[in-house]
Amino acid sequence: MPDGEAFTPRQRESIARAITLAENSSDLRYSVYVGDLGDNSREQAQRLHAALGAEVAARGVLLAVDPRDRLVEIVTGPEAARWLDQRACALASLAVTTQCALGDVAGGVVNGLRAMAEHARHPRVLHTNQP
Amino acid sequence: MTSPRHPPARARALIRSSVAATVVIGSTLVASPAFASNRDDGDDPGAGLSTLEVLWWFVGLPLLIIAVVALLVYAPSIARGPRQRPGPSWSAGPVWFNGPTDGDVDAAIAAATPTTGGGGTSARW
Repeated sequence: MPDGEAFTPRQRESIARAITLAENSSDLRYSVYVGDLGDNSREQAQRLHAALGAEVAARGVLLAVDPRDRLVEIVTGPEAARWLDQRACALASLAVTTQCALGDVAGGVVNGLRAMAEHARHPRVLHTNQP
Repeated sequence: MTSPRHPPARARALIRSSVAATVVIGSTLVASPAFASNRDDGDDPGAGLSTLEVLWWFVGLPLLIIAVVALLVYAPSIARGPRQRPGPSWSAGPVWFNGPTDGDVDAAIAAATPTTGGGGTSARW
């Protein structure tokens, strides 16, 4: 049994809120995993992404942080990759690592989600949204 | 001729000695005698403290107060458990926000085939 919680209730709340805000501004599904990613972290992150479910994974974005090995993996589904390109993901991972290097994993996750939501923002086209 | 600004040498010596005398005599007169052995009228000293009482009042009680304050300071962090810092000391279990909710998550992870055709990045710090 692992001792100690990863986040305080307040930190959990702020991460959950950041996920909700990101999903509202962009039409993607965000998921955050904080824990061990094993030796092959990239493959494990892609496996976690696939485990989100077939209908979710295509539009899904997984932000995986392994605090023990100090690494961050961002996996985007085929549909989500159209909105979040390599450059946007690199910027988001930089936002995560910057804050995590200060010891603040929760803050890093929140900043990363914000960065991704900012890049993947779906602008509303008023004249097609209106009847 | 001496300069008009300075008093003559004899007057200066007089001033100097009178100041010294005033300070010494005045302070001795003003200071009240602190002779505790001289009893005042109406004083009523109680019984002296025993060694045990001295230890209690001057060692035990201060230590007790310090212990209570320290407990109040450290109690919240003790109740919260060890603070998690990224690095090899991270001991918390995995947390998944907005992850799969139904069924056995571990089995789903093991059965899943890694996503391809998407994008993403890896980073370390």
